[in-house]
Amino acid sequence: MLKVENLVVNYGYISALRGISFEVKEGEIITLIGANGAGKTTTLVSVSNLIKKESGKVIFKSQDITQTPPHKIVKMGMCHVPEGRKIFPELTVYENMISGTFGNPALSKEKINQLIEKQFTLFPRLKERRNQAGGTLSGGEQQMLAIARGLMMDPDIIMLDEPSLGLAPIIVEEIFELILRIRENGKTILLIEQNASMSLSIADRGYVLENGVVTLTGTGKELLVNEEVKKAYLGA
Amino acid sequence: MLSQYIISQVVNGLCQGFIYALIALGFAVIVGIVGLATFTHGEIIMIGAYASYYIFLACGHNLILGLLASFSASWIVGIIIYKLCYERFLEAPEHISLICTIGFSMLLKNLAQIVFGAEKKPMLNVIENQIYKFGPVEISKVQFVIMGTVIVLSTTMMIIFNKTKWGIALRSVSQNREAAALVGINVKQTSMIGNCIGCAMAGVAGMLIGIYYQSISPTMGATLSMKAFSAATLGGLTSVPLSSLGGVVLGLIENLGISISTASFRDVFSFGFLIIMLIFKPTGFVKRKGARP
Ligand SMILES: Nc1ncnc2c1ncn2[C@@H]1O[C@H](COP(=O)(O)OP(=O)(O)O)[C@@H](O)[C@H]1O
Ligand SMILES: [Mg+2]
Repeated sequence: MLKVENLVVNYGYISALRGISFEVKEGEIITLIGANGAGKTTTLVSVSNLIKKESGKVIFKSQDITQTPPHKIVKMGMCHVPEGRKIFPELTVYENMISGTFGNPALSKEKINQLIEKQFTLFPRLKERRNQAGGTLSGGEQQMLAIARGLMMDPDIIMLDEPSLGLAPIIVEEIFELILRIRENGKTILLIEQNASMSLSIADRGYVLENGVVTLTGTGKELLVNEEVKKAYLGA
Repeated sequence: MLSQYIISQVVNGLCQGFIYALIALGFAVIVGIVGLATFTHGEIIMIGAYASYYIFLACGHNLILGLLASFSASWIVGIIIYKLCYERFLEAPEHISLICTIGFSMLLKNLAQIVFGAEKKPMLNVIENQIYKFGPVEISKVQFVIMGTVIVLSTTMMIIFNKTKWGIALRSVSQNREAAALVGINVKQTSMIGNCIGCAMAGVAGMLIGIYYQSISPTMGATLSMKAFSAATLGGLTSVPLSSLGGVVLGLIENLGISISTASFRDVFSFGFLIIMLIFKPTGFVKRKGARP
């Protein structure tokens, strides 16, 4: 579904990505793990074409989207939940969710209402707070809102950038359970995480990112028991 | 009849304040949605005034046509400003686009002097002279029409902003451009529309000013845009309701001020207000709805 080939990205003189390739197939949960500064966020924002790529290719649903503007990529069915949630703080929870539907103009009014109800069953806490300003939610609730906003466009793939960042362990568990449920609902997931143990345990396959290159790849289970991964990311 | 005089100054102040409010809320919309300040606002007012002037000349006293003309002329100039001064500099430091708008404002002012002539032009008497009396309060028909127009326009705008999907898109862009792009909003196009809405408000205000003072000139915008800026400081430059309130307050301060001094002191009062705001409350009184304590 998504194929990234030899992505190279520089910030001025700093090279952030030095030739990254990976693939996400339909229905999979794929995770990219790596330490802080490894280039995980840069990978996602260059897939969404929010920053300029030096070279490389991004293929989504057999189309080359390397140079497609971000809002058009979204409309092709790719959803990117950015690092740090980035919900709209002054819009209500409900309005934030509606904003997600801009990504899919094909949605009918009925379908939008269905999607809203669907998100409210998935995230009951958002239902209670539907008329509250997004910025007044707690960190975990904001993360849920960011995911719900993304799901409102009924995307084919959803890319999550460190959804567990800064959240209490119990909330992190809740978020990971939700990710599994989202996959059950038929979505493909690309999950970016520093929390390697959690993300590898739910992922079909994983890629380990170090200093802008992929150093290891394998199934979630393989990586969980890999000695190097254990030493570097699992604190063993 | 001192009290009579005060009452009529309050009415005058309100009417003038409503026009300032329209200019100021346009300014706030631009700063809020484009995320960059503008120094071309005064010239937009002037363009709007001239557009209606020529329509009145050509088509007679048709207020609606005049309004449409000033609205669309300033909307179109809004597109040009966006393309020239903002679109390519969204990622650049703010002062680049700011200087660009200063340059464009000079260009417009001087072009207007060449094309329309440097002298003042008398605006036609679009609305007949008529006074309505409500007890001790006297309002002229012109004032009535002006306030009505401002109320209708600003309410329509508020409804669009707060109750429609369009409004959600505009507000999303003003709050987080990157996230807006990631939910599929065409950020550039939406910012441009925001810029055009703000310009159109100023353009219509230009027509109203022309009608109120019965005269227009290529340089009429300069002080007006500074007044809009003063009014918008009340809302930290981006709050639409507070900027409008600022406009009304400014109109009242000016007119009550000149009633205790002379008319030539008008600008002293409004810019005195700006200085006081900048010294004591430079961020305005806006309370962010989404802020956590
Ligand atoms: N806007 C930026 N300007 C300059 N360097 C940046 C910028 N964003 C990220 N970097 C650098 O690029 C590298 C990768 O960053 P990032 O993709 O954010 O890593 P991660 O998400 O894995 O923590 C880091 O060395 C970081 O310092
Ligand atoms: Mg990151």
